[in-house]
Amino acid sequence: MNAQAIAQVLVSGLLIGLMYALIAAGLSLIFGLMDVVNFAHGEFLMMGMYITFGLFVGMQLDPVLAVPIVGAALFMAGVLVYLLLVRYAMRAEANVGMVQIFSTFGLGTLMQGLAQYFLTPDYRQVSGSWLANKTIELGGVFLPLPQIAGAVVSLLAFGGLYLLMSRTDFGRALEATREDQGAVALVGIDRNRVFALGWGLGLALVGVAGAMLANFYYIHPQVGGAFSGIAYVVVALGGFGSVFGALAGGVVVGLVEALTTLVLPASMKTVGVYVLYLLVVVLRPSGLFGKP
Amino acid sequence: MNRREALFQISSLSALALTSLQARAAGGEIVVGAVYPMSGPNAQVGVDARHAIETALQIINAPTQVDLPGAAASGIASLGGAKLRVVYADHQADPQKGRSEAERLITQEKAVAIIGSFHSSVAATVGATCERYGVPFVCADSSSPSLHRRNLKFFFRPAAHDEMFSEAMFDFMDLQKQQGKKVETVALFYEDTIFGTDSSTVQRKLAAARGYKVAADVKFRANSPSLSAEVQQLKSANADVLLPSCYTTDVILLMNTAAQLGFKPHNILAQAAGFVEKAALDVVGDKLQGMLTRASFALDTAGKRPSISFVNNIFKARAGRDLNDASSRQFMATIVLADALQRAGSVEGEPLRAALAATDIPGEKTIMPWARIKFDATGQNTFASPVLQQFKGKDFATVFPTAVAMAQPVWPMNA
Amino acid sequence: MGTAAVSSGATQGVVAGYRVHRRRQVLSVLAVLAVLALLPLLVHDAYLRNVLILTLLYASLAQAWNILGGYCGQISLGHALYFGIGAYATSVLYVNYGLLPWFGMAVGAVLAAAMALLLGWMCFRLKGHYFSIATLVIAEIGLLLMHNWEFVGAAMGIQWPLGPDSWATLQFARDKAPYFYFVLGLFAITWVISFQVEGSRWGYWWRAVKDNPEASESLGVTVFSSKMAAAALSASLTAVGGSFYAAFVAYIDPDSVMHFRFSLLMVLPVVLGGLGTLWGPLLGAVILIPLTEVTRSYLGGSGTGIDLIIYGALVMLVSVLKPEGLVGLFGQFRGRRGAGGAA
Repeated sequence: MNAQAIAQVLVSGLLIGLMYALIAAGLSLIFGLMDVVNFAHGEFLMMGMYITFGLFVGMQLDPVLAVPIVGAALFMAGVLVYLLLVRYAMRAEANVGMVQIFSTFGLGTLMQGLAQYFLTPDYRQVSGSWLANKTIELGGVFLPLPQIAGAVVSLLAFGGLYLLMSRTDFGRALEATREDQGAVALVGIDRNRVFALGWGLGLALVGVAGAMLANFYYIHPQVGGAFSGIAYVVVALGGFGSVFGALAGGVVVGLVEALTTLVLPASMKTVGVYVLYLLVVVLRPSGLFGKP
Repeated sequence: MNRREALFQISSLSALALTSLQARAAGGEIVVGAVYPMSGPNAQVGVDARHAIETALQIINAPTQVDLPGAAASGIASLGGAKLRVVYADHQADPQKGRSEAERLITQEKAVAIIGSFHSSVAATVGATCERYGVPFVCADSSSPSLHRRNLKFFFRPAAHDEMFSEAMFDFMDLQKQQGKKVETVALFYEDTIFGTDSSTVQRKLAAARGYKVAADVKFRANSPSLSAEVQQLKSANADVLLPSCYTTDVILLMNTAAQLGFKPHNILAQAAGFVEKAALDVVGDKLQGMLTRASFALDTAGKRPSISFVNNIFKARAGRDLNDASSRQFMATIVLADALQRAGSVEGEPLRAALAATDIPGEKTIMPWARIKFDATGQNTFASPVLQQFKGKDFATVFPTAVAMAQPVWPMNA
Repeated sequence: MGTAAVSSGATQGVVAGYRVHRRRQVLSVLAVLAVLALLPLLVHDAYLRNVLILTLLYASLAQAWNILGGYCGQISLGHALYFGIGAYATSVLYVNYGLLPWFGMAVGAVLAAAMALLLGWMCFRLKGHYFSIATLVIAEIGLLLMHNWEFVGAAMGIQWPLGPDSWATLQFARDKAPYFYFVLGLFAITWVISFQVEGSRWGYWWRAVKDNPEASESLGVTVFSSKMAAAALSASLTAVGGSFYAAFVAYIDPDSVMHFRFSLLMVLPVVLGGLGTLWGPLLGAVILIPLTEVTRSYLGGSGTGIDLIIYGALVMLVSVLKPEGLVGLFGQFRGRRGAGGAA
């Protein structure tokens, strides 16, 4: 392949990498906050996509405009999930992290079943949205608008998250609770409230990702699986608890995945990502930016 | 005994009770099993299969005015008018679960035959199970060539397999070449499960044998988040004909990605599957105008054969979509089975098997463009001649072989 | 002197209580095995037998996983790798070279152990989730390699030839009882190994390390080599399970033996039943596997997803109502604490 083709592959990898990062951001936030593996993360991505689809078909609302609504809806879902499920699962005296796997796994399966029951397993796609089928060409390299928009939203989300964590009271409370769950009660921070809001924020992020993904990806009850799988690796690669790590991890994964297709058959492109992860953690056991 | 053991006793006893409460094949009823994916990414296939089979049952179980075997009678005449009832099971694309379900249908539901199963990997274990129990397996739609080559006596496949499909595709390309069109290079684009592997293996062999250069050989992981790099490889190769083997989701992603990267294949000659599914055609149909695909079923020949639109109308009322490649084969499998039951006059394994082996249904008495349904010694219907269809507007027009064509093919698809 | 007399008396009491507890465990397992051994005589339905076999298989796999994950604290989310190694080694050797599955099983176990040692050497230094993701990733690499490797059939998988019933080839056309007794034996072996581990120095070290991470510094190399041994043991038992599965289903392909859902299905029964307990894996398997099978079989045929809804909801319910595992319901926890003394 010539230089232009390689450039195209890299650009496409970068764009999807930023989507991976956005999906991973919420996962990283929840991980870092309470050491919980959200096994239903992919199902919430699916939920965000279906809501976007519903708004588009029912109210002709373009996905880009639907982003705030989907974000808000998933925020509320996150708060509910914590208050009604995770809070109780965390009452285990031992092996707390492991038990959450169970509860969120059950939740994920339940959500898939509900989606199949109410929405049928048929594949949906948002077609005819404002961004669909539009692409810019720059020097022979094609930049599809839906992916560009997704990348932009991803960067904005990370920027917003950074500001939230460093400049607001809530952000500082989040950070403090992450550092030391037990001690924060002493300074008047309600741990439950922080956890609930943390879940809300984490799922809002994945909801926004779903809304942007709906611009160019098909929707069905199992759509979350492939993306959440990559998201776990992204979070671990970037370092658990580091939101910036999720961004860096996502970009790196997207690029490495694309580059691997140049040397291995495309059906094995994720092997490159996995090998990279192993190399990174062998050299830096807490990922790129994780706390040691 | 302690509580743990009590738990075991209670659970095994209640399981036994459950078994005896199962609806057993009552007198006047014949039970057949159907094993399909009813959940997971291919659940829609299972849903449609159910509709297709129910359509066949409607025709078989009540006197119906259509030129198909078993339609005139009510139920199976030679078995006292017994009605056919199908019990469905979900294999979740897992060969072990498929086997377990087939076994359950045979031993608990007393199924006299099994229909299935879309995924060729599951058809492998279901076929083996049926062989072990001496119960016929009518493989409606799994197209791997390896399935009928395992010396199974109870395996029957009325429809074509991948080698037959791909041969038809290359026959068509040879024809275009003879007519002076530029057809020198092909690009293989296939997903990494049995379907894609089988399909590409045959295509690679035929390309070598018939003098086509393989400009790109791209194997991709099914259901990937992104196909940009893969499509870029196709774009760089710029082959004369793209030969894709993809399921629905990957068709959608492929065509969207191709459009985004400014890639318009000169020609597409598809292995059906996702390319003939409503879900894909609804969203990327505009990008697939002029695509060619192999087909088992030619809806546009309905004008020549009334049974086709008759059956399609019933199916459409149930499923909300036309019969397609997969659903038509599932329908026919049920008809074939009913016909064999009628000739066997028995539900026992061996007589039914013998009746299936002796099947000889002329093509006009089916809804398919086949010459006839007659199984060879391995259980394969070698007369299941595939056709090629071209997508125009929202419909498919049969364009090959010339003898059955309803329209002239437009080649190339994109200049 | 007074206090010394009291404390030595108390210690003797604790030790004696512990021995009684251990003896009771042995008697319990003999009773359970005896009851299980009778089941094929009571249950003749092929489907139910199938469910029993799967339950005991997953109980064995969960028990094997528990050695590394529950007792040792190394949470592996990639045990499907060893399951696949066992399944593929046995299948390739039998189908291509005619080597009987019993020998193939041994080969698979050795290969899996070697793989586990390599993995442990690379990854044991990783903490918590990093380790788990590493195991997951390595298993996925294994899956992708098998999916693309022609020698093992790639995506086409490996089909065992249909042959006459025989213990030598572990092939039985309809009779499920031999398979049942095989997995029963496998389960008994995994139980005995867990029992030994629980009462051994390893068990003591690992509990010490889990309760007091700083202790790991001083115990250093000893703990590391014991973990390696545990990993090898866990992996080889899992591989034997995989070999059995290949013989049982007589057809394998990468997705059917190395997919992530297998890794998950080995962990979930342990979490449900109780991590690091002797009876947790069996208890979890007895509840989870029949539930999975029955909801799919009797509710899945409709294509509406009802079976997933019920399965998912029940799993969630249990995790909320009894988060530390169901073993606590049976008084084992109390018994263990009482006899063994507070850790």
